[in-house]
Amino acid sequence: MIRMATGTKSKTLFADYAPLDGAFDELFAPDGSVRPEAARTVELLNAVGIREFKARQKLADASFLKSGITFSVYSDQQGAERIFPFDLIPRLVPGALWARTRRGLEQRIQALNAFLDDIYGEQRILAEKVVPEDLVLGAAGYEKKVRGVRPPSGVHIHIAGIDLIRDPAGEFRVLEDNVRTPSGVSYVLENRQVMKRVFPRVFAESKVQGIEEYPIRLRDALTSVGPAPDDQDGTVVLTPGPFNSAYFEHSFLARRMGVPLVEGRDLFVDDDKVYAKTTQGPQRVDVIYRRIDDAFLDPEVFRKDSALGVPGLVRAYAKGNVALANAIGNGVADDKGIYPFVPDMIRFYLSEEPLIGQVETYVCARDEDCRYVVEHVGELVIKAVNEAGGYGMLIGPQSTRAEQKDFRERILANPRNYIAQPRIELSTCPTWTQHGPAPRRVDLRPYIVTGRSTWVMPGGLTRVALKKGSYVVNSSQGGGSKDTWMLEDGAA
Amino acid sequence: MISRVAESCFWLNRYVERVEVLARMLDVNLAFQLDVSLPDAKRWLPLIVVTGQEQHFLTRHGAKSSDDAEIVQKYLTWSDDNPSSLYSSLRCARENARTIRETISLEMWETLNDLWVFMNDRAARRLYDHHRDVFYRRLRDQCLLFHGIAQATMLHEDPFRFMRLATSLERAAQTARVIDVKYHSIGPTSPDESEETASEAAQWMATLRFCSGVEPFLKRPDNVLCGRAVASFLLFDPSFPRSVCFNLERTRNFLDLLGAGAPGSVGARARMLVSEAADFLSKRNIAEILAEGLHETATWVVETTGEIAGEIIESYFHPSSGPTTSQSQSQS
Repeated sequence: MIRMATGTKSKTLFADYAPLDGAFDELFAPDGSVRPEAARTVELLNAVGIREFKARQKLADASFLKSGITFSVYSDQQGAERIFPFDLIPRLVPGALWARTRRGLEQRIQALNAFLDDIYGEQRILAEKVVPEDLVLGAAGYEKKVRGVRPPSGVHIHIAGIDLIRDPAGEFRVLEDNVRTPSGVSYVLENRQVMKRVFPRVFAESKVQGIEEYPIRLRDALTSVGPAPDDQDGTVVLTPGPFNSAYFEHSFLARRMGVPLVEGRDLFVDDDKVYAKTTQGPQRVDVIYRRIDDAFLDPEVFRKDSALGVPGLVRAYAKGNVALANAIGNGVADDKGIYPFVPDMIRFYLSEEPLIGQVETYVCARDEDCRYVVEHVGELVIKAVNEAGGYGMLIGPQSTRAEQKDFRERILANPRNYIAQPRIELSTCPTWTQHGPAPRRVDLRPYIVTGRSTWVMPGGLTRVALKKGSYVVNSSQGGGSKDTWMLEDGAA
Repeated sequence: MISRVAESCFWLNRYVERVEVLARMLDVNLAFQLDVSLPDAKRWLPLIVVTGQEQHFLTRHGAKSSDDAEIVQKYLTWSDDNPSSLYSSLRCARENARTIRETISLEMWETLNDLWVFMNDRAARRLYDHHRDVFYRRLRDQCLLFHGIAQATMLHEDPFRFMRLATSLERAAQTARVIDVKYHSIGPTSPDESEETASEAAQWMATLRFCSGVEPFLKRPDNVLCGRAVASFLLFDPSFPRSVCFNLERTRNFLDLLGAGAPGSVGARARMLVSEAADFLSKRNIAEILAEGLHETATWVVETTGEIAGEIIESYFHPSSGPTTSQSQSQS
């Protein structure tokens, strides 16, 4: 500590930074030189110096705490709030790379949406055996109760969060689709606010694409799919309540869209129409951005014990009296067991080749794949298809023999429930640690909003594995976040 | 607006008001202790009595502790299981605010959250230990700041009206409780001011200070420091922002702005109750009140405002249409 303190003033931020062997570092080339697109930003950050950088990190942390930008952790005591660790070193993405990726995301959402429309409609893709029928109809997220219910304008995926990684060549690939209730966008917007305040000059000179229009884009998309597309009055955000881990985000989005935030108990259904209980009596609701899972949405149809939902909501939905975003039954599209078939969906529905790659995946439901996986548990990343948040997952190369044995047994007992992927060397970004900037692995979740058209936010949630050597970026497992700067096309 | 949200607006401001009033009372009482020689028992226990926690305190700390200034202050400031402590009220205020962040302004939330973060920080304990008066003033000032920010940053529409309505109603009740401190500390007030002792006069001075009322009181040329004048001022003054009559009038105004003036409207019955109470009180005179017992009138104010709050909660927040599972909050 004392050794560090002497001379820190003159030391530049990245003076001792060394990229990790074998991983793609997003700011520095393997020889330690700065990548061209990051040159100006790195120069400006270097000029800030370590001492000043530390002071600004403190400022940023205090500002998150003051604003109450917190999440709750389930394993913790009820209602405990934490701030999501935020790393001040921005992540830079070259404009041209992002432009390619954005088109790939639009294409993917279009295909996934067409898949949902088909699965809950004609089921052509099953008839033509492009995707195995039992895999689709047996998926936990497939809701046969909404077969035949077509949401307004055929939009199923109003809001998507697609998890991307950068592979060793620096290209983005899809790791996972989230088309039910993806969260995290509020952190993206808040992180940006804080960065602008803490590093105004660095930000201004880096020529970063703006993301601030997200809430307005979302509101417009939501109202455009409602029964009364020109009337914003009947739009609400539905939250499970203040004890939900993402409550801050629900409230944030309601605030920034200027629409009411409601809980299930604030709504009721009468004559297949949805109403909010207001101080002046019942008021009609026609678009619900719901942040409640399908299973809890309507105790008449799904879980009977749900106190979070609204009895009769599905009836109103089926009658077309209310739009739900996202639609019911989307879980089948982001099922980890369906994921390997998305490229085929793109070819099937759009007659196009996928513009964005994904990760090679073994589907244990197939005998051949299952055999391979069981024999190679120690080399693969095994994921339970119905788990999220980094739970139910085994990273083979970092696991013990006992863990491997356990997973082998679990896979054989229920092959349908598992997939496996080779471990991808996630890209790294310089991240602040106690010992100065060090390479840490990152992923990216951009958000895609669809109403009458599709819009990809030029930014996203960069999650960073703060622990040295870790590949798990989830906030529930010690991950943090960074601001993601999609540079303007042509800017460096 | 959503009934549940309106209810949180209502409770938010009631709790903020409780924090402000109790912080001021504790601060004033600290200074007051230096002025007059009364046993501590009569100095601190009345504060517990008027917050409605006497039984709870005695069960928890025993009668012997009621003359221990430190224990009482700690109980009223920090106690987690005293629902009326500053800590508990602040937590409830902040919790209500947290559930309606989309309704209140960002600056309001930050003010309250900041105070809550401070309360849970060692800095707050240090300030409490070393500069208690500064500690209480900080709490009081943040509450006032909260109101100022609300006034300046929120749309003056229904959410704001429910908040102001709650503040007015709570203030009427809190002023009645403050008036009652003297009763629990020294005893009933005689209608004849010549019978008043020096320590009674000092207590009335403290009572005015509990309400930030000394200077406004002195601006009325006929006022001299005695129970009759102070009680009359705190009950009736039409312009003093903490008098009972002023706040009943404000309550009625905010109900009107919420549309309760129209016959058959949602809040019509609540408005009728407020009108009846305001009319009843304004027709009384101080001599008659003192003869009958000031304590009885203070109790009447507390009960009546409680009844009005109950009616507001019932009609606006828990309407009979559709099922309600909303939990109610402590009303003490």
